[in-house]
Amino acid sequence: MEKNERFKFVEGHILANKEAFYKTAYSYVKNKENALDILHDSIYKALKSVDTLQNKEYVKTWFYRILVNTAIDFLRKNKKLTVMEDEILEFHAEAVEDHYTDLDLEKALDLLPPPYRTIIVLKYFEDLTLTEIAHTLDENLSTIKTRLYSALKKLRVEMEMKEEHYE
Amino acid sequence: MNRMDQLKSEYKNIEIPEELDFIVDKAIKEVKTELEGESKAKGEKELEKEAGNEIGRKRKMKLRKKLLAAAAIAVIFIGSINASSTVANAMEKIPVVGELVKVLTFREFTFNEDTFNANIKVPVIDGLENIDLQNTINQKYYEENKALYEEFMKDIEKLKEAGGGHLGVDSGYIIKTDNDQILSIGRYVVNTVGSSSTTMQYDTIDKKNEILVTLPSLFINESYQERISENIKEQMLKEMSNDSDKVYWVKEGDIEPFVSIKLNQDFYINDIGQLVISFDKYVVAPGYMGVVEFVIPTEVIEDLLVSSEYIR
Repeated sequence: MEKNERFKFVEGHILANKEAFYKTAYSYVKNKENALDILHDSIYKALKSVDTLQNKEYVKTWFYRILVNTAIDFLRKNKKLTVMEDEILEFHAEAVEDHYTDLDLEKALDLLPPPYRTIIVLKYFEDLTLTEIAHTLDENLSTIKTRLYSALKKLRVEMEMKEEHYE
Repeated sequence: MNRMDQLKSEYKNIEIPEELDFIVDKAIKEVKTELEGESKAKGEKELEKEAGNEIGRKRKMKLRKKLLAAAAIAVIFIGSINASSTVANAMEKIPVVGELVKVLTFREFTFNEDTFNANIKVPVIDGLENIDLQNTINQKYYEENKALYEEFMKDIEKLKEAGGGHLGVDSGYIIKTDNDQILSIGRYVVNTVGSSSTTMQYDTIDKKNEILVTLPSLFINESYQERISENIKEQMLKEMSNDSDKVYWVKEGDIEPFVSIKLNQDFYINDIGQLVISFDKYVVAPGYMGVVEFVIPTEVIEDLLVSSEYIR
């Protein structure tokens, strides 16, 4: 592939999937400004490095990898900020409850460490296959499977604890 | 997985903000502009040959259109400045040590309309006896700021069409070093749209000999490129291991790890005569790291320097 052709191809892929990418970014940071910031950084990064895309077939996982890494970088930098936002969220919890049909699961998902959360988001929300996820995260398939099961297990544990707490 | 399905529908219903298209277009445009800049540096002529006559002609047409647009914009640019009350501050003097050679704010332009804000300061160098050099630099500053203004107005129109939003541009200059010998000026442009991007460009002038100092001119051959790059990589790794909040793209497995500085990488010389290498936001690190700088210890490059006149 010529560089120009590759650039056009990646640009097309981004334009066709921008809403899905925005949602993925949003699922990490839970606010519009930061999600846009992450998306902007990811697109910039991807287009600057179209050379690293070896094969057109991999564009999906290749871009998700950039997006996920950018989001995790962002979270790592803004750890303290996230904690504060949770507190604010809790403060307003009752008002928000109407909008979230399943607040407990939503919160449990937020409490998962980013690598586990990524797997859940990509598998259940973005419908990637486990093989694609393995490729995105540059891990082997069995590692992804193990993490998926422990993520699901962890989600269930978090939810049980929540229920006990409320009762 | 019934509950997971519920969560999935929550996810699918995440509201798409109206700025999304604009942000996406902006990111794409930023990369395109940079790539264009790089290929321009390769030499327009060479490219025309490569691409054949057809594209060459198109390019010329484009250039003609650009020139026409530039002429039209120049009128607006000057017009707006003169209509603005901030002109009162124009020619405001910035204190400098070397009295003969100095940097002044030639023009300051502010634009405020609801959610659109621009603040552009155009610097001008004054007092060099080498008038050609002085004119070349000042012309460059003027042209660049004019282009910036033009771009900003275009973006506003696009954004208005798209239903509004926030847009800001802030441009100005910082005097990094001003001593008996060296004048290093950094010019910054900060674009703000939800996210912000910052670019920084430096000019270093030898005030005694009245010449513009370029990075290649400091060294005996091009091996400085590798030497400095290696040192920067070491510094990046060290900083990251000392502070987990710092992230540079330098490790294997990063999407586009830092490999090397450019031969004409942005740089300046600090007040104690050390070489400082600068990278724009997003180039070697995630956005939150901003513009990053590395001071290169003189002993690392000592044997490659043409002289110890500037760098000590």
